[in-house]
Amino acid sequence: LDSMVLPRPLDGDVEPKSFVETFPLNCNPRYLRLTTTAIPNSQSLVSRWHLPLGAVVCPLAEAPEGEEVPVVNFASSGIVRCKRCRTYVNPYVTFTDAGRKWRCNLCSLLNDVPGDYYAHLDAAGQRIDLDERPELTKGSVEFVAPTEYMVRPPMPPLYFFLIDVSVSAVRSGMIEVVAQTIKSCLDQLPGFPRTQIGFITYDSTIHFYNMKSSLTQPQMMVVSDLDDIFVPLPDDLLVNLSESRTVVETFLDSLPSMFQDNLNIESAFGPSLKAAFMVMNQLGGKLLIFQNTLPSLGVGRLRLRGDDFRLYGTDKEHALRLPEDPFYKQMAADLTKYQIGVNIYAFSDKYTDIASLGTLAKYTGGQVYYYPSFQSAVHGEKLRHELARDLTRETAWEAVMRIRCGKGVRFTSYHGNFMLRSTDLLALPAVDCDKAYAVQLTLEETLLTTQTVYFQVALLYTASCGERRIRVHTLAAPVVSDLGEMYRQADTGAIVSLFSRLAIEKTLAHKLEDARNSVQQRIVKALREYRNLYAVQHRLGARMIYPDSLKFLPLYGLSLCKSIPLRGGYADAQLDERCAAGFTMMALPVKKLLKLLYPSLIRVDEYLLKPSSQVDFENIMKRLTLIGESLDSRGLYIYDDGFRFILWFGRMLSPDISRNLLGTDFAAELSKVILSEHDNEMSRRLMGILKKLRESDPSYYLLPCLVRQGEQPREGLLLLAN
Amino acid sequence: MAEFLELEAQDGVRMSWNVVPGTKQEATNCVVPVSAIYTPIKQFPNIPVLPYAPLRCRNCRSVLNPFSIVDFAAKIWICPFCFQRNHFPPQYASISDENLPAELFPQYTTIEYQSPGEAASVPPVFMFVLDTCIIEEEMAFLKSALSQAIGLLPDNSLVGLITFGTLVHVHELGFGQIPKTYVFKGSKEVSKDQLLEQMSFFIKKPKPPTGVIAGARDGLSSESIARFLLPASECEFALNSVLEELQKDPWPVPADQRAARCTGTALSVAAALLGACVPGSGARIMAFVGGPSTEGPSAIVSKNLSEPIRSHKDLDKDSATHYHKAVKFYEGLAKQLVHQGHVLDLFACALDQVGVAELKVAVERTGGLVVLAESFGHSVFKDSLRRVFQSTDYDLGLSSNGIFEINCSKDIKVQGILGPCASLEKKGPLCSDTTIGQGNTSAWKMCGLDKATSLCLVFEIVKKDIPDAGVQSTSNQFYFQFLTYYQHSSGEMRLRVTTLSRRWVAGPGSIQDLIAGFDQEAAAAVMARLVSFKMEIEAEFDPIRWLDKTLIHVCSKFGDYQKDNPSSFSLSPRFSIFPQFVFHLRRSQFVQVFNNSPDETAYFRMILNRESVANSVVMIQPSLISYSFHSGPEPALLDVAAIAADRILLLDAYFTVVIFHGSTIAQWRKAGYHNQSEHQAFAQLLQAPRDDADAIIKERFPVPRLVICDQHGSQARFLLAKLNPSATYNSDSHHPGGDIIFTDDVSFEVFLDHLQRLAVQ
Ligand SMILES: [Zn+2]
Ligand SMILES: [Zn+2]
Repeated sequence: LDSMVLPRPLDGDVEPKSFVETFPLNCNPRYLRLTTTAIPNSQSLVSRWHLPLGAVVCPLAEAPEGEEVPVVNFASSGIVRCKRCRTYVNPYVTFTDAGRKWRCNLCSLLNDVPGDYYAHLDAAGQRIDLDERPELTKGSVEFVAPTEYMVRPPMPPLYFFLIDVSVSAVRSGMIEVVAQTIKSCLDQLPGFPRTQIGFITYDSTIHFYNMKSSLTQPQMMVVSDLDDIFVPLPDDLLVNLSESRTVVETFLDSLPSMFQDNLNIESAFGPSLKAAFMVMNQLGGKLLIFQNTLPSLGVGRLRLRGDDFRLYGTDKEHALRLPEDPFYKQMAADLTKYQIGVNIYAFSDKYTDIASLGTLAKYTGGQVYYYPSFQSAVHGEKLRHELARDLTRETAWEAVMRIRCGKGVRFTSYHGNFMLRSTDLLALPAVDCDKAYAVQLTLEETLLTTQTVYFQVALLYTASCGERRIRVHTLAAPVVSDLGEMYRQADTGAIVSLFSRLAIEKTLAHKLEDARNSVQQRIVKALREYRNLYAVQHRLGARMIYPDSLKFLPLYGLSLCKSIPLRGGYADAQLDERCAAGFTMMALPVKKLLKLLYPSLIRVDEYLLKPSSQVDFENIMKRLTLIGESLDSRGLYIYDDGFRFILWFGRMLSPDISRNLLGTDFAAELSKVILSEHDNEMSRRLMGILKKLRESDPSYYLLPCLVRQGEQPREGLLLLAN
Repeated sequence: MAEFLELEAQDGVRMSWNVVPGTKQEATNCVVPVSAIYTPIKQFPNIPVLPYAPLRCRNCRSVLNPFSIVDFAAKIWICPFCFQRNHFPPQYASISDENLPAELFPQYTTIEYQSPGEAASVPPVFMFVLDTCIIEEEMAFLKSALSQAIGLLPDNSLVGLITFGTLVHVHELGFGQIPKTYVFKGSKEVSKDQLLEQMSFFIKKPKPPTGVIAGARDGLSSESIARFLLPASECEFALNSVLEELQKDPWPVPADQRAARCTGTALSVAAALLGACVPGSGARIMAFVGGPSTEGPSAIVSKNLSEPIRSHKDLDKDSATHYHKAVKFYEGLAKQLVHQGHVLDLFACALDQVGVAELKVAVERTGGLVVLAESFGHSVFKDSLRRVFQSTDYDLGLSSNGIFEINCSKDIKVQGILGPCASLEKKGPLCSDTTIGQGNTSAWKMCGLDKATSLCLVFEIVKKDIPDAGVQSTSNQFYFQFLTYYQHSSGEMRLRVTTLSRRWVAGPGSIQDLIAGFDQEAAAAVMARLVSFKMEIEAEFDPIRWLDKTLIHVCSKFGDYQKDNPSSFSLSPRFSIFPQFVFHLRRSQFVQVFNNSPDETAYFRMILNRESVANSVVMIQPSLISYSFHSGPEPALLDVAAIAADRILLLDAYFTVVIFHGSTIAQWRKAGYHNQSEHQAFAQLLQAPRDDADAIIKERFPVPRLVICDQHGSQARFLLAKLNPSATYNSDSHHPGGDIIFTDDVSFEVFLDHLQRLAVQ
């Protein structure tokens, strides 16, 4: 087997095109992708398919300009839905009886058309107002929800910050970066003028801040009875940002200096979390937690674990990847119930039990940001950008999501960061464009008789502007009886996304090895099945065959097994790093995940040397195969996995380039060097490339990490060959 | 009288019996107990302050004094208390009858020692404890009064701040960045250890594994103390900015509820903090309370408005559910504060009761100040607060860390002290078996004392038999020695020694001596403290009956009469006004408690228990001065007959000072005659009582309430309530003044008639 001829996904994720062409009324794949767009008509087909049958949903995916989801307001007539299955009216419903009735595409019930919604049908049986009805022509549409869809007045966007101010947090410089970033984002927080904001800081005690708008400066209140937490003020711990703007700014300005001499090493994390919950639970909102140490005091206290070598490789190993204290899962359930979504920012240079902390983000629809050994001089920029992104991206508040599908198929499992409220209702206190969810399907009956199966994703949420809305994505897929067709219509991106989530979940109950094996097994079985289908026909003997749609699957499968959550054994990744990566990957949209699994590698030294007139930018962006042979020791390469850059300096790289790019540091050990712009064209160009690369995906900020050829073991760790 | 005043001017002491009944039986027959009202640090212009340590008897520890017998040749002195012979130490080698040390000068029976080496190092500490459950208007008054007070604090004094309502906020004034407080639940008691732990005292300096934590010397870093207690000069800005932005307690109060106010928890946090940071140094907790405590162990009433605050009736019937619990709590707090040497001052300003009755024990045992007013905006509060900090001729002379000890001749025992102090439980042969007030000890703690603080000591004469006539001439003296160690307001430690000698008499023929030595004013003051004390601790005690019985016995024993002939009855001038004092005492706020709230009663009694004889007499029997065109100001009988249309009366009832214009004067005043140049004499007449009232107000603490009123006006009741009802609505005769009093009380004449009848039986 010649590895050179293996297909490489050098163009990244490619969404299946043919399907979009066949079903133009479907929602865009950026919102919803099936693992195969050919739905099997029988159980036996499903069992021979071996790959997961399911979908990846990214309900709020960012749309390019001009493709925004249209907003529809039915106003007085109310939202048109099927009486029986509650499906929202969509392009696949049919109107009959001169426009007085409509048939539900999911359950076939004939519904009355409400008076206000009535329109005549033309000769072709189409409503004459079709052009004015996006909900009947577009696969994605957003309905403005009337009051029946509210259990309370829509909440204002609310940001609450829980900030560790213990000595390690102070020394890392984290507090300063956080305070500055929040301050710089105040104008861009969504929801002006309703936006609410509040803060708690903590070490061995909990510090509340009175931000009443009439004050000239905030007032700090310390509560230290950790066994009996109470809120020291009935109001004003959460304030309207525009009213209390100056107090909030004064607070953020003084926050770093307030604790600069703090010597407190303890962390009353659990009690502080409870305190934040008590302040927030009237309204809900986003809770951003900045944690620098292992929680050491009060409820939710954690202990050092994971340094017990004897556990690794045993049946107990997986327990290290689970929250230790039931407090965390219980807290997450309470937070979700009160519409509070948690994002964890973790910074420690020591073990902080991300497995436990991350649980809070996992079950509240949040996210884990992990900055091991954070130092503001090194990582400040990354934190600044990612926090700013977190604060300013459009966010859907107090949301629930449900996916409906036509008769005969059923969703059986959901994977990602959320809390399941009932069997099929996902509670998402705060959700944004960077979050995706995977689901698995089963067939309910032995044989599907319909030609087409419909899927409809409905996300009910409060927009930052205060409107209650329902975002609806509808998709139709053909039912097939041919296994080959299923393979041909497979979507590798969706399959890998689903595989990743399943595998990561498996690591929570099994050994890493088992999780990896199961991925491999399924891929092998699927390929063998496919080969069996065609082996005779094509007389291919022992050669491997696969449909074009699955050509990258083995490679992605291998990459997945080498990804941080699944990789190797004890020594191959820090426990916290492994858990953090797991939490992150559980939420990644398809494209982002594939980039992580198969990063791009580009060579830039030649470009840097060219005179500016001959710059062919497109050309240098060309991705290289991730094999050792791609690396020329005279070259400079950028490796980009969507989370960080690795700049590989070949051993024979022209010293000119090094000097221009690194200045006086050019000969130093590169692990200690921070890349910054120098006053020369070459340096500016390199920074320009990095900037350009970053702009292509703003969800994470990529910090450059420098390595010189032959610097071991760093080179090995950073550039683990794919 | 004059000789008693002279004695007081020399030693600060007034005794009921200046010639002492010499035996137990004799003393019992005299009815009024042998007692002294002593003002330990009364200001004397020329008191000698000796710059060395006192010389003590090696047997009984009493201090060398003018009554010691000195053998100059042998360099020996004999202790008058135990007759021990003591050698003078070498530094006294040069003494002779020509060369006496000051402490042996006959006129220096009261003298002070200031030991060298004990420098003025310890700054005074003020911990302000502020109630925030008050309306905005009151809050504004309180803030302005306080910021004035802060401006007057000595620069070196340490200041802390606690505010409370539903919760307790301890302000970290030393934080410097933004206002910062540590918050505690009002409903929960916090121990000193928990408090220290929770206020992060052990971050920089780890907690010592064992032993008591006591200030910077023991267990705490001075930095951590400086977070909460700052020199006034450094924290004035921080303190003022906290006050400026201080909000009313923000927790919502339902319409049918009282605010949640955790006075006791706040005070106990304050006490614990001071106990940890500055034990043993002169610290005062100054509590400003604007309503009843409803939260935590000190609650005096529930939050439910439908439950009224306890009245005297409730206390009498023992149906005040919270009372005993709250008193018990404050007894505990008192004990803690006494142990730490700290003072609790109470400024209670509310229309409602705030719990002065419950707090009394903690204020009184620690020698704290108390001021009761209707509002933080009232001059009684504002001016009193200013007086606390002002340093003028009228300053209070606040001192701290006092210990009061006593030595007596062996035939005398001490029953106890009624007054602002706490027993140090130093038991000894000096202690009587029967106790009154703080008894069963010969040493008392006076955490706070000032130049007016006056203790009432009650003695018991234990000598059984009449001694042999032969020795009477030499040893018929009783000796008393009062030792007061205290921290002077300058910071120095001082010891004041007062040594007294009183002659005792016994047997037939001694009655005239006793009469000559009777100080009826002092006796009245003692009786007032005694009757108040008995009313508080003896269930079913009938004060009127007790006072009447006492008076009748006194009159029977010391009156001059023929048996069963009332009209023959007469009293020596030494006793002549004693019945009048008792008459007014019976009608006073100390005995007629049902006209007042328990808080007011507690307040009046606390003031009575700390004041001098002269002031006590004014409280018992107000003074009345009459002003008219006909004559200069002259004392008037405290009788409704003193009212006349063309007179101005100035009533000094101690807590209130009333200027009362007769109806004609009132009319002229209303017409503004005093503003016209031709009526200058009238202007002067109006001004005279004002000037006299100002003079009274200036030197009194708490500042009395000044009422200026006209005859027939509504405020006139302040005067009428104090007058002898010689003319009431049910008497026949009308006085020319034309005023009658609506009361059923008996008049003094009727009272005296009854007394004479009973005394001669
Ligand atoms: Zn339907
Ligand atoms: Zn002696």
